[in-house]
Amino acid sequence: MANTAGIFVSVLGGAALVLGAAYGWTARDYRSQELAALTDRLSQLESSNAALVDQIAQGAELKEKISELEASLATALEAVEAAKTAAAAPEPPVAAPEPDTIVADATGLEFGDPSRGEEVFAQCRSCHQIGQGATDRIGPHLNGIFGRRAGAHDGFRYSDDMAMMGSDGLTWELETLNAYLENPKALVSRTRMNFAGLKDPQDRSDILAYLRQFSASPQNIPEAAPTAQAREVELSPEVLAIVGDTDYGEYLASECKTCHQQDGSDQGIPSIIQWPTEDFVVAMHAYKRQIRPHPVMQMMASRLSDEEIAALAAYFAQLE
Amino acid sequence: MKLNRRVFVGTGMAAASTLSAPMVHAASHGKPKVVVVGGGAGGATAARYIAKDSAGEIDVTLIEPTRTYYTCFFSNLYIGGFRDLNSIAHSYGKLASEYGINVVHDWATGVDRDAKTVSLAGGGSVPYDRLILSPGIDFVEGSVPGWDLSAQNAMPHAYKAGSQTELLKAQIMAMPEGGTYVMVAPPNPYRCPPGPYERISMVAHVLKETNPTAKIIIADPKEKFSKQALFEEGWQKHYTGMVERIGPDFGGGNVTVDPAAMTVNIDGEVVKADVVNVIPAQKAGLICDAAGLTEGNWAPVDGHSMVSRLDENIHILGDATNQGDMPKSGYSANSQAKVAAMAVRGALTGSRVFLAKFSNTCWSLIATDDGVKVGAAYEPNDEKIASVSSFVSQTGEDAALRKATYEESIGWYEGITTDMFG
Repeated sequence: MANTAGIFVSVLGGAALVLGAAYGWTARDYRSQELAALTDRLSQLESSNAALVDQIAQGAELKEKISELEASLATALEAVEAAKTAAAAPEPPVAAPEPDTIVADATGLEFGDPSRGEEVFAQCRSCHQIGQGATDRIGPHLNGIFGRRAGAHDGFRYSDDMAMMGSDGLTWELETLNAYLENPKALVSRTRMNFAGLKDPQDRSDILAYLRQFSASPQNIPEAAPTAQAREVELSPEVLAIVGDTDYGEYLASECKTCHQQDGSDQGIPSIIQWPTEDFVVAMHAYKRQIRPHPVMQMMASRLSDEEIAALAAYFAQLE
Repeated sequence: MKLNRRVFVGTGMAAASTLSAPMVHAASHGKPKVVVVGGGAGGATAARYIAKDSAGEIDVTLIEPTRTYYTCFFSNLYIGGFRDLNSIAHSYGKLASEYGINVVHDWATGVDRDAKTVSLAGGGSVPYDRLILSPGIDFVEGSVPGWDLSAQNAMPHAYKAGSQTELLKAQIMAMPEGGTYVMVAPPNPYRCPPGPYERISMVAHVLKETNPTAKIIIADPKEKFSKQALFEEGWQKHYTGMVERIGPDFGGGNVTVDPAAMTVNIDGEVVKADVVNVIPAQKAGLICDAAGLTEGNWAPVDGHSMVSRLDENIHILGDATNQGDMPKSGYSANSQAKVAAMAVRGALTGSRVFLAKFSNTCWSLIATDDGVKVGAAYEPNDEKIASVSSFVSQTGEDAALRKATYEESIGWYEGITTDMFG
């Protein structure tokens, strides 16, 4: 390689010589110029060569480290296998997710631990249902989310941005869901999903493994009680059955609209329009009983009667 | 008369009075007329809600001298470099075009309470069936000896947003290296209780970036102030050694100024300053006094409907009022406006009137992504509007919560300005 470069420089020098001659320069000028160029080139090559030698040495060190790590990984895996065998031995196998649901895809992302994912999913449950009998709530249900086109689940009213992303071709796969969960508004800028995002990659791969269980083979959706969701607060059937007075709700809502945007946009403060009334009622009672932490909302809810909460729920549910 | 959905779904009583009340007005002088004086958080909101909810049954006129309204809230963030001036500027175009409000850009100079008319500086007068005054504040003359409105260019108050805010910011940016900024803080009660201290935070933020050896002095006649622990913690954390507050124990309440010499005399000690921000003692906007609706510096109102205690046809909102426990804030004025709007519509068209509820939250920014808030809920009794529950941010909160609080305040700004201007 060094030779080729040298020859190339010589050729250039020759060409310059010809050109130079045409302009009346002497051959001697060109030789000294060529010599200077070659000297420069040589010192460049020498220094890059030294850098390469360094890199080769580093590479060898890394190789050594890798093989050390591989050895310790193998030991660890053996230990895990042994532990698994020991743990599984006394009992018959339980209905665990099929091991083949845990796969890697071409992007290098991987599905994590679905049972831990179920725990992470707890924070999503106030808006999203999943599992047998799941229905749309504040957010759409998430059965069969993998492979579903964004904003395309019938009967759910998406933000314009989400609908547009869907018609532009966004489909929910491991990679796209991973990006969306990391920062929803980075992917779909005006999504109504008011969620800051899961910053921990492990949380995301675990939750995606959990979601995947409800997509891989929908006919085999696990029974694991996702529809028997405990409410955040226990409310009597009478409280849930109150039919809200939307006129009264409109007056009470004027207080909410100081912060919550009537057009459903949200910037630092979530949208509260078009929620299912029951979800609205449950959320407000959760603030009233100080189960939900936000101090402004606790204050607002603290003095609302059951009828007033129902009136607000009815008003905001029907707001266009 | 146009019957809307609201009338039909009302109770029997309400519907009956709806049918009778407007006819009385129709017989005397056509559609009932509401005049609103002042296009800020109280007046703009009240005008918009009455126009929107009466669906054409009430004529609404809004009298506001400025064509572009700069919100006082978030004007400190402009000083701190977190907002540009355009982002706190609003026009009245939508109130006119979408809500049918007659927007008059003029000064209301007086009220003839017997004839029920409002006189305008530009000549002529406007008749009303119900008048809503939301004029904000004016300054008490002589409260800071040596300062009057003629000195507001040398020593700006920047406590009505707009050109004064721009002027103050320009003066801060032009301070010499290591220069001195002095704030003369106001006595209670005054507009926006945390406002002077949020401003100190924002001034410190700017100076820390551009002029880190500059000094900030507050001469304060009050022993305590809003969110004091939060601000003092923040100043210590973000602007260590930059802010010195002289409270009443050390003569902070005994202040005179000399605008020509640019000096501030704090209890006998003369401070030469580069910027002097004088926030004088305050009183109800002048029109309240002109209309004979004040007792002392403020206009007393009944919190059930924000009606003046001195005139049953006039409602008064916001900073100008003496109503009880609510702080003088844009949020409070906006909250009071909705109660007044409901009461006025009820009186003029017989629409349903519900129990008054009020609330307030004041967000303040201490430094980048370091937001705090204080708030309370209120209900009226016969004596006053009384606080029923409250909260305040805590010292030592983590950075994520403070950031979320700041982001929430941005959302609130969008919400309330939409609620005011449509």
